[in-house]
Amino acid sequence: MRVLGRAGGPTLVLAHGLGCDQAMWHRVVPLLVDRYQLVLFDHAGSGSAHPGAFDPSRHAALEGYAQDVVELLEDLALGPVVLVGHSVSATIVLLVAAERPDLVDRLVLVGPSPRYIDTDDYVGGFSAAEIDELLATMESNHLGWSRAMAPVIVGNPERPELGEELTASFVRTDPRAMRAFARATFLSDNRADLARVRKPSLVVQCREDAIAPLAVGRYVHAHLARSSFVLLDAVGHCPQLSAPAALVAAVDDFLSPARLSPAGS
Amino acid sequence: MSGDAWERAPLGLLRLDADGYVVAANETFVGWQPRCAGSQSPAEVPGRRIGDLLTVGGRIYWDTHVAPALALAGSVEAVALEVRTVEGPLPVLLTAATDTADGTAAGTVHVALLAVRERAEFHQELVRARLAAERWADRLHWLQDATAGLSRAAGTAQVRRALVDALSRHPAVAEVRLSHPGDTARATVRRTGASTFEVGVAGAAGSHGVLRVRVHDRPGDLPVDVDALDVIAQQGGVALDRARMHEQSASVAHELQHAMLTVDLPRHPGLRLTAHYRPAEQGLEVGGDWYDAFWLKPTRLAVVVGDVVGHGLQAATAMGQLRTAVRALAVPGRGPAAVVDLVHGFVVDRHVGFGSTLVYGELDLATSRFTFACAGHLPPLHVQALGGCAYCWQGRSTPLGVPAPVVRAQGTIDLDAGDTVVLFTDGVVERRDQSLPEGLNALASAAVAHTASPSWGARLVASDGDARDDACVLAVTWRPVR
Repeated sequence: MRVLGRAGGPTLVLAHGLGCDQAMWHRVVPLLVDRYQLVLFDHAGSGSAHPGAFDPSRHAALEGYAQDVVELLEDLALGPVVLVGHSVSATIVLLVAAERPDLVDRLVLVGPSPRYIDTDDYVGGFSAAEIDELLATMESNHLGWSRAMAPVIVGNPERPELGEELTASFVRTDPRAMRAFARATFLSDNRADLARVRKPSLVVQCREDAIAPLAVGRYVHAHLARSSFVLLDAVGHCPQLSAPAALVAAVDDFLSPARLSPAGS
Repeated sequence: MSGDAWERAPLGLLRLDADGYVVAANETFVGWQPRCAGSQSPAEVPGRRIGDLLTVGGRIYWDTHVAPALALAGSVEAVALEVRTVEGPLPVLLTAATDTADGTAAGTVHVALLAVRERAEFHQELVRARLAAERWADRLHWLQDATAGLSRAAGTAQVRRALVDALSRHPAVAEVRLSHPGDTARATVRRTGASTFEVGVAGAAGSHGVLRVRVHDRPGDLPVDVDALDVIAQQGGVALDRARMHEQSASVAHELQHAMLTVDLPRHPGLRLTAHYRPAEQGLEVGGDWYDAFWLKPTRLAVVVGDVVGHGLQAATAMGQLRTAVRALAVPGRGPAAVVDLVHGFVVDRHVGFGSTLVYGELDLATSRFTFACAGHLPPLHVQALGGCAYCWQGRSTPLGVPAPVVRAQGTIDLDAGDTVVLFTDGVVERRDQSLPEGLNALASAAVAHTASPSWGARLVASDGDARDDACVLAVTWRPVR
């Protein structure tokens, strides 16, 4: 866990999605540090989280990851914070806000999807068979991310030897942890949890996103009370990488004092 | 790379823009593509997003893993994906790099796709083998954990708890119940609902109950290993059989001992006979202490305290046999040394109670003389009515079954009116916190101070609740009746 940025500024806790780690926020961090206090962390089983942090029973459901975030916030004791969740972490921070509204000021949901698999009355974007195919793809590639990310975490891509060093000491992503996280991500149905959240929230949707399509983002906005919706002119599932400035502008706008409701301040 | 080399390279080659849209594709790649309906020409590749050219698993993987890695690190190496082709999914290894060093600018992404059909099969085999190895490791871990838990448990209640606990420790298991013995179900695991299983815990002499297991059924849970569940239920049945048998034998031994120790003590106007016994408090098994008192003839009382080596049912039966042997062999006129020697002969001939100790004494009511013989046992304590007491170290010989001198020794004490003789076992004087001499001194002091009190003997054998050995006291107070 890392805390950086402006001490005393509004606190943003940045929660990464499946398959990566806090390096995911690499491009937005420099655009936020002067105004906000930032908390970066790796979920259990991801990145450089302690290998013992992953508990196969606790982390068999997204509620376990949400509980981790609750404990992190309790330890930080920084008062109600802004939770920024990308992808599956959008669902995780929604669960946190539903369980412990006292710890949460606002939510920013980047590419949220409360359910990936289509049902009779809902379009999530994928069939159950397609999700199985994804899980098989992940099974064949589970070492890829940590190796590629090592130089980024060191923060010095010009000196790859540092990355090599880190890669050697890097916790090998535990395939079991990754598998459990992937299953919890893609097989959960958290649509009913949307109604449990009463905090002001911002839904950030990319124009073209194969993982969380536009219709899903609109569904979240429609079912989440006190939510705003912003459509970024970005392609892909990771606007914090492909359109960092646009994402930060949307966050700034959402958190600007002029927009703060009396109840939320 | 010259145009021809690019087009005909034995690799699928693509150039993408920063958003992942195909700008150019080589002939090799285009050749893999499905033909358009009613046409022999491949579907147009440029302008499509790379995700759409991959199978769905690959498409998601591209957006969750590959694109972020490219954006942050500038390259990815040998990612295993599948391209949609005329002949179905084609396994490829994808290597890609952006043409800017750190990937920050909206540069071009160069992609090479190496078809690895055979290699992918080999790889799949490795993945399957790894998954199988993980399953076996999980199974072994679960079984080992359950076996350890069951073997540590003593008694059916503990074994039942250990069985439930072992199953509950599986990460996917939400709840386990073991129903009462006699409740039956098939002894192989059966699914009873979407997230419930049951399996009977069979015992040699009937069912030990039915295990009902509910699993969480959360998306990230591993499936419960039904074969391991079967084996653990079987092991539980065996452990419960063993615990049940052990408890039955312990209970028989307790009953035997109880029957032998609740004798009606002889009554006489001049005699006060008190006996106290306290079993060991650790473990289930009975110890081997015993006492007895009976008339040899109307004016001659026999008293005996013994300690059989060993514990459990075997000790209880040996105790019973020795007790009967003493009663049968103690006849008037024979005397303690001869009686003890005959009991020794019984032990040698019948191989019963080898190494046991006893003190046997006879009180002649006409002469107030107490004669006794100690076979390896602690000495009688003579408590005088006028004050003072002494351990009687005469009349000693080896424990029963151990070769004895030709003639066993025998001791005598002449009792004054109101004197008491105390016979006892080592559990009375040997405690964890005191040595034998200390214990003997403590017993002597207590005897001098309290023999008049009827609850004296009970206090002597009382313990702190953690006694390792059983303890037995028999006290005879004689006051001739005129």
